[in-house]
Amino acid sequence: MTTAIPSIACLGVIGRNNNPMHISIFPSQDPITNNFAPIRTPLQFSLILSSTIDVFELRTRHNAISGGGLSGEYGLLQAVDDRLAAYGYETNTGIRFVCVVDMRGRRVDSAAASSKQGLRDAELKPVFRAMQNAYVRLLQNPFYSPDEHAPLGGNGGKKITSRKFVDDMKRIGDGWTPGVVNL
Amino acid sequence: MDGYPLGSLDHNVPYLLVSGLTTSNSELPLQENLKYERKILLKSKLPAAEGTDAKALARYFQAVDEQGKSWAAVGSKTPYRFRIKNVGRTIPLPPRQARLPERTETLESHHILHSPFSPLSPVSSLYPDGLIDAQWVKKHQELVPSVLLCFYTLTTDPTTTTLRDNELKNDIGELKAMLAKSGYKTRLAVALIADQDSTASSLAAGLQERLENIRRGATLDPKSLFYIPPQDSDAELRGVVDSVLTTLYGSAVEYYRDLARHSRKKRSRGIAPPPTVPPTTGTSRTLSIPDWNLRYDFKSGIFAEFRQEYDAAVRFYEQAYGTLLGQDVLDVIPSWSPRWNEARLLSDVISIRCLRVHFWMGMTSLAVKRWQVHRDNIQDFVDRRGHGTANYGWQAWEARWATVMADLIEKIQIPGLTNPSPSVFLPPDRSMMAERINPWEHLHHRGYWYRIAARHLGFRRRLAHSIPDDDRVPPEDPTVKEKFGYDTYLCPKPYEEYPLRGHGVNHSQLIIDCLIKAQTQFQSRNQTRTAAEISLECAKEMASTGSWQDVLSVLRPLWEESSFRSGGWINIAEDFAWLLRRAAVDEGEGDLVVAIDWELMHKRYTQRPNWHYDLSKSLEETTCSSKPEVRISDDQVEAPIVAGWAFMGKESRAGETCVAQLSLKSEAFSTAAPLTFKSLKIEFDGALKPIVLEHLPCEEKSEGKVSLAALTLEEVFDAESGDLPTMLKGQTDLTLSPGNTLVVEMVIALREAGEVTSSTLQLNYGAESFDLSYTMDLGDLRNPAGWYTKGYNAPRYIRAESHMLHVQPRPPKLEIKYLNSSSQYYVSEPIKLRVQLVNGEDESVSVKLDAHLFGKVVPAFALKANGEEQKVDSAEEESRLTEFPIGELASSSSLDVILTIDPAEEPTSYDLHLRASYHLDSDAATPITQMLPLQLTVVNAFESNYDLNPRLHPDAWPSLFDCDTISSSPDIVEDTPTPFRGLSQSWCLMCHFASFALHDLKIVGMELKVLSNLKNARCDIVKQAGTPKDGILVAPKTMHEARFDLVTQKVSLDDRHPVPLELGFVIQWQRHETDGEQDGDGARPINTTTMYAGNYLVLGSEPRVLASASEIDMGKATRLLLLDITIENPSNHFLTFGLNVEPSDEFAFSGAKQTTVHLLPLSRRALTYRLLPLVRGDFIRPGILVRDKYFQKTLRIIPTEGMKIDKEGLLIWITPMEGEGEEGKAAVEVEEDDDETGGSEE
Repeated sequence: MTTAIPSIACLGVIGRNNNPMHISIFPSQDPITNNFAPIRTPLQFSLILSSTIDVFELRTRHNAISGGGLSGEYGLLQAVDDRLAAYGYETNTGIRFVCVVDMRGRRVDSAAASSKQGLRDAELKPVFRAMQNAYVRLLQNPFYSPDEHAPLGGNGGKKITSRKFVDDMKRIGDGWTPGVVNL
Repeated sequence: MDGYPLGSLDHNVPYLLVSGLTTSNSELPLQENLKYERKILLKSKLPAAEGTDAKALARYFQAVDEQGKSWAAVGSKTPYRFRIKNVGRTIPLPPRQARLPERTETLESHHILHSPFSPLSPVSSLYPDGLIDAQWVKKHQELVPSVLLCFYTLTTDPTTTTLRDNELKNDIGELKAMLAKSGYKTRLAVALIADQDSTASSLAAGLQERLENIRRGATLDPKSLFYIPPQDSDAELRGVVDSVLTTLYGSAVEYYRDLARHSRKKRSRGIAPPPTVPPTTGTSRTLSIPDWNLRYDFKSGIFAEFRQEYDAAVRFYEQAYGTLLGQDVLDVIPSWSPRWNEARLLSDVISIRCLRVHFWMGMTSLAVKRWQVHRDNIQDFVDRRGHGTANYGWQAWEARWATVMADLIEKIQIPGLTNPSPSVFLPPDRSMMAERINPWEHLHHRGYWYRIAARHLGFRRRLAHSIPDDDRVPPEDPTVKEKFGYDTYLCPKPYEEYPLRGHGVNHSQLIIDCLIKAQTQFQSRNQTRTAAEISLECAKEMASTGSWQDVLSVLRPLWEESSFRSGGWINIAEDFAWLLRRAAVDEGEGDLVVAIDWELMHKRYTQRPNWHYDLSKSLEETTCSSKPEVRISDDQVEAPIVAGWAFMGKESRAGETCVAQLSLKSEAFSTAAPLTFKSLKIEFDGALKPIVLEHLPCEEKSEGKVSLAALTLEEVFDAESGDLPTMLKGQTDLTLSPGNTLVVEMVIALREAGEVTSSTLQLNYGAESFDLSYTMDLGDLRNPAGWYTKGYNAPRYIRAESHMLHVQPRPPKLEIKYLNSSSQYYVSEPIKLRVQLVNGEDESVSVKLDAHLFGKVVPAFALKANGEEQKVDSAEEESRLTEFPIGELASSSSLDVILTIDPAEEPTSYDLHLRASYHLDSDAATPITQMLPLQLTVVNAFESNYDLNPRLHPDAWPSLFDCDTISSSPDIVEDTPTPFRGLSQSWCLMCHFASFALHDLKIVGMELKVLSNLKNARCDIVKQAGTPKDGILVAPKTMHEARFDLVTQKVSLDDRHPVPLELGFVIQWQRHETDGEQDGDGARPINTTTMYAGNYLVLGSEPRVLASASEIDMGKATRLLLLDITIENPSNHFLTFGLNVEPSDEFAFSGAKQTTVHLLPLSRRALTYRLLPLVRGDFIRPGILVRDKYFQKTLRIIPTEGMKIDKEGLLIWITPMEGEGEEGKAAVEVEEDDDETGGSEE
């Protein structure tokens, strides 16, 4: 008997201008055929990521009223349905990292994961830390110009093309399971 | 929540039946099969209560009833909740026991009759093996009241009180008996209201006793009899009724507790009661013990809900649910049996009731968990025992199950999720706080649930569409058993779901309804992107049914708003665009089709295979009513073209030309057709008219990526525009191939001055079927356009603001020349400036001149030209002479202007601004200004220092023994009004001055002036320093000397006070300039500079010793020197001085070596020494010491001409014999600076 455990279905980096800077999609395990395939199309993942901007903005507005700052906060943004949930993290420069978790993305022996029901916000912290580290490494690259990716006061922006960053995202998405502390 | 039987999900609150407030009688709302059962009727003979109070009460009860229906969570503080029904005096109750079926053989006489709602009674729809249905819940909620509240009128007519009271007693008693006989445990309560014509006094009389009497007579307990006195207002009446209802609520709760207790008692018996008549049809299966336990638990749960005891309710529900889904109940029901669906329905009902209780208790996460558990359980059951989950019925149920949650959230109005609320989901409830919970277990708002429902409805349609054709026709013979294998739980049969002929279920409409509900929820929470996403789904659904009009109305505002496109969510924007294009094509919206095609040519979108990507073919399949003229701009649609505008230089002048480049870079797909624009128009902000370029086909095509065309623009003039052109025009090839860059280099003639910024570019494209005009911004500060050079594909960066040009105004050609050679002027000198205006313009001008002078103190000045003169008075800080008319000045002619400034009194500096404002005679409206700023410094021409040296006055002093000399002196000028009889002193003022001017100056006169006003003394300048006739030419930085002799004398001998003397040194000078810079009159003005020569004290009363020497020529070899030591005593004392002469090697002398001199008051005596100097051409130092004998103080000997003094004492110059000591002589004169002047120190 196997039990479903969460896995990452999609990682997204959204820029200051609400523009997608990076999207990585990861396959989920099908419980019947045991095949790995993404559970949504890239378009659908794009839509999920863009819908999280709404939640970010709602929080920002709410925090502006209550006086708290959003930067550095992470946590559940919204559950799309009973399977997919989007977690987010906003840096103090306005870059938003979004992690879409498939709550039934992997199957393991039930003995190993008998007590692992649900997911805590804190379990996503390593993901965001790793994503931010990767992003910081990207920023350290002198050939990377952050302003090109989110022009001040403008619209849109370029996508991240750094191979190293893409590899980092892949490593994070593949490597994470609940309980992983370091990525 | 439609589809679930009526009443099965009602919120259960105690049911109160009110009788006697209305006369109308109502029927019991019984089920069809129970209609003919014997009903129980309770009747009362007394008339119904009437009056305004009765009506108000009836209305209030209705309001309470409405409140009782609500599902909203209610706090424990609410005193009561009731469902209330009003009936007349006849009270119907449902039958207590069902009748025996008619066909039953009467042999078995010991039939036990059961309730008609029980599965034991053959008349019930549940007979023989149904579990429980909504009828039973309804029985308690709508048929059998917990409390029967009867209203009676209490008469106040004193004649009939006893009679009426007795009637009342009897009636109540009868009613009570009837109720007891019916077998229902309903509580009876009586409320008495005063009749209409009662008064307060009539009521008060013995009321308490009467009430007590009635109560006893009717054997009612004290809590069941109420008296409602007449109230002044409705609000007070409500207050009284509230207290009555609160009391009744207690007994109602008790009633339901009794029922629950009864139910539990039966459960604990542990037997399955046999039906009244054993079943003879069907499977003849009857309910087993677990079935009965389920029934009892369910009932207990319902009763707990009646009592509003949520904890107990959820416990019993869960128990019932566990039993239902356990091995013994649902498992043993065959899936083909209708009981299977009934059992599923029951499980749904129990689950929904559980969810509701959870919500009421605030356990939102627990509720979501419960929701999931039920779905998983049912999925498991359907998979194992039913028709599986791969059919439309399961998806229909999944959709229903999600909708149920949304409906629950709406009906219960969960705090935190009601509109408008900022939160998307609720935090985990307190029961789940410490646990790891699924993200979904944060209760999300209804929009999310509707989306899930819509998703499942989509699956349902897909599965419905996969039903084989055989099953899609209704069976011809209705008696033939229907095909199994389809899950038809709460959904239509396959031939109704998706019939082969005719219309089945409109899935799209279901989905659209669901999505619109979801969209409303997201929109109301400002989740605009999610709302847009759902709109897109909605539009796709509409597209599938072909309602393109709807698609257009949904998508068009979103497409125009374009938050996805501007954010760079290309794939989403693309999805929108293609869908919208289809709709636009279908609806004949030509302009929209063109706009979308224009946009989708951009290569950042995914290329659609086999798509033409030719703008001219856009409207091939669209039928438009007229030829569309499409006008779009870059805020709506992004173009597949990047445009840039760059001026080559940063600055230019009006009247000159500049070079600029327009670059158009195509970002279209490489397979796209080239774009040929009909024309384009560039507009500017500022002083440049629009540029229009028209297409002129060009034969030769340039190779390479960048094609560069150069042209000079023509100016197009209009009749109305006057001198300035209306636009600039040019012609060039405007074909742009994909991936290429078209650069047009233009030479533009500049006419006006000011800032020029490129603002917009309008591209005009003409096709057979439409005209497109696209406007885009050209003034993007962030991406300055570069400059293309022939042979290079990439532009070169020129500067940050390449789209801006500063056009400077046409320069003034009228010149102001300053003719003076220097700007150095001197104090006391009038300044005369000569300025020339030279007209360099091509035509004659009219000039006005302004002069503006700044300084600390500005003296008066005047302007003179053309024989006219204007003056301005002196002022502080600044003064201004404006609009001095110069008048007409012909081309290349000149005019001299003279500006004179009055002499300054002290060194200063001035700033002079000369501004000539003029206009060309041909263009009087355009003022042109030329300005000449000048700085003038005024310095002192001379600097000087002064020494006043005493001299020996030759005249004898008046003698006290000679009255003549005292009364009148022959030396004194006689005709002075006041005779001067005081002492006289002779002085010499040595004045050393130097010129600090830059030029040679000529001194034409020097004069010493006594500046101070002498009161008791006079001062005569005996000898002024002379100046030659031609004057003294003073070169810069050279030293000159002037000597003035003066004599001072006091008026009276008795005056002892010293006289202060202020002297002024006056120099009259003129410039000595050799250059030709002179006035026409040629006379140089003579300036008079007065310098302050110091303040001195003369004629003191202290004694002084003056030394004077004279040489006596004694022959060739020797010269004798006569040294006179004159001691003056101007005091009134008799003084005695000792004189001592030291012998020296330098000279020999004759005279008293040591002597004593007595001096009378106001007298002087001279002692003469004859000195024979032994040296020549050198100073000798006669060691003479004069000592005041009385004060024992040595007096200083004051030198006069030819002597000097140092610290040691007196020094006398001995002239050399043969002119060898000339230099030394000069040295004496200069070194006399150090000497002290004035009176002695004593």
